[in-house]
Amino acid sequence: MPLLTKDMVPNILRLGGSFQVDEDIPPRFAPGDRVRARDINPTGHTRLPRYARGRQGVIERDYGVFIFPDTNARGEGKKPQHLYNVRFMSRDLWGPGAGARDSVYLDMWDDYLDNA
Amino acid sequence: MNGVHDMGGMHGMGPIVLEEDEPVFHAEWERRIFALMRAMSVWERWNIDMSRHARERIPPARYLGSSYYERFLYSLETLLVEKGFLTQEEIEERVAELAREEA
Repeated sequence: MPLLTKDMVPNILRLGGSFQVDEDIPPRFAPGDRVRARDINPTGHTRLPRYARGRQGVIERDYGVFIFPDTNARGEGKKPQHLYNVRFMSRDLWGPGAGARDSVYLDMWDDYLDNA
Repeated sequence: MNGVHDMGGMHGMGPIVLEEDEPVFHAEWERRIFALMRAMSVWERWNIDMSRHARERIPPARYLGSSYYERFLYSLETLLVEKGFLTQEEIEERVAELAREEA
């Protein structure tokens, strides 16, 4: 029976688990690329918020290769892929009432995005 | 899933109330729930995304009325039942037993 013992606790709390994957997988996008979040409605876990679906943004940063939560949550494997930070203009999310200079930055996996 | 946890853009939820010098745990039971979650993770029968999804599956009215660690507890119960550690009946019997002891 796997037991959590006192000596294991500091390590577990310190490391907290990394979800980065050491695999050489090519990115589909590069910083500056215009992308559109896919309009998907999975019944399982996803980290793609509803308010961003179908909206356009710009890739800000490529974090590297990470476990894909949607398949990992279903026990269907890690499906490692690039994770990006994507900038959405607030007006593209919330309409003309939003601040013209405001943005929302969301972390998005390759499988959430298409070219715009 | 399109559940109530995905609250971005919703109106009417009120302001976020910030607590000054907020303690990590507000009650002893919260500390226990956190430790239980960690202790069970050593079994590696589920991953963080499965435990997040278990939290998202808390029925909407209950989800909105629950605190952070109450959601921890409900999702842990779901995972323990789904992975065969406990049955729903065993959990309910124990809750009833504790309620009787308290009465």
